[in-house]
Amino acid sequence: MSDGTNMTDPSPLADPPAGGDLLARGERDAMATLRRAQQLVRDAQVAIEEASRVVGESAGPASEARLVAAEAEREELTNRLAEVEHQVGRLMTLYVATYQLHATLDPVEVQSTIAEIALNLVGAEQFVLLLVDDEDQGYEVRLIHGEPDTPWVLSQRYTGGDFLVDSALADGGLRFGPTEQSPALAVVPLRVQDVTVGALVIFKLLAHKPAFVKEDHDLLDLLGAHAASAIFASRVYSKTARKLRTLESLIRLVNKG
Amino acid sequence: MGAQLLGEESVNTVKNRKVLIVEDSRLIHKMYEVMLRPITLVSAFDGRDGLDKLSQSPDVDFIILDINMPRMTGLEFLAQLKATPALAQIPVIIVSTEGKEEDVARGLQNGAAAYLRKPFQREDLLKVVNRIESKQPAA
Repeated sequence: MSDGTNMTDPSPLADPPAGGDLLARGERDAMATLRRAQQLVRDAQVAIEEASRVVGESAGPASEARLVAAEAEREELTNRLAEVEHQVGRLMTLYVATYQLHATLDPVEVQSTIAEIALNLVGAEQFVLLLVDDEDQGYEVRLIHGEPDTPWVLSQRYTGGDFLVDSALADGGLRFGPTEQSPALAVVPLRVQDVTVGALVIFKLLAHKPAFVKEDHDLLDLLGAHAASAIFASRVYSKTARKLRTLESLIRLVNKG
Repeated sequence: MGAQLLGEESVNTVKNRKVLIVEDSRLIHKMYEVMLRPITLVSAFDGRDGLDKLSQSPDVDFIILDINMPRMTGLEFLAQLKATPALAQIPVIIVSTEGKEEDVARGLQNGAAAYLRKPFQREDLLKVVNRIESKQPAA
């Protein structure tokens, strides 16, 4: 994805993290459910063929009624299977988003993944990622995509003033706009263990996407929780790695002395 | 019959196929891996990488192509593909966030067999794959 977002060079697909096992099991369960539903439809088809044969052999009102009932049942099962397939597709999208968020401990790659999800899975054309600044507890703009013309975006820091962003950061609730006090279409607070570590603020959707759909709400909810824990883990890891390198340097110095 | 079945049944009919994915987003690569399983996927991360992979695996049955990529865009890749007689017949499905009517028209005029806008649902992808597959000779 090079649609204006600063991205790291693509590299081969990462190995799944340990937590990916649980997700993979969820995906396998969903596929097993889908297979069972497909088997039901096939069984119904066999039953209809059998009923047709019986009707052919002994045509009568009772047999015809059985055939009509079997066809109605098949119709219902087919509709239910289509719905299950749709749900499986939704689960696959959520699974992939979660998997990819936790596939790395590099903070820059986590941010890139959040941008990829916003653009490719949600269909956001203009958005900003705010992350809490560890030093002064303010929010800095860590990623801009699509040149939103909101003044605070250009200042690289968010110091308050947008009603939707302020309220989402304050209570951790997902917000949808725009409103008179905010141009944002959605504000997704990123929270882990009741601590807000940032927010994804979406200002505009792609031209061919007129509005958010039901699936987007699930995805944005998931993003709020999993992006936060992925950012948190990657920050802790990079801090620890930095400290480790410092300690190793000190030990080398002491050994030399 | 009411709803059309597009899920695993349809993927199973193309499971012996080999598909080249030319896409710079690792997230979307993973999406194809999950949604198109058990189809064999060959992964490339930009147009130039795609051409390299094609030279190693020219037997791909179709190509799924992004537009906005570093080094070589999808449209540049498509132009090179169509200019190579041995590869020109491989069907290409463009899947892109560039979704304006003129973008779609440009992609199709440049030789793409189908155009799918991101974000997409699994059933949208399978519908397009089925359409392309129905025009292919049997595996």
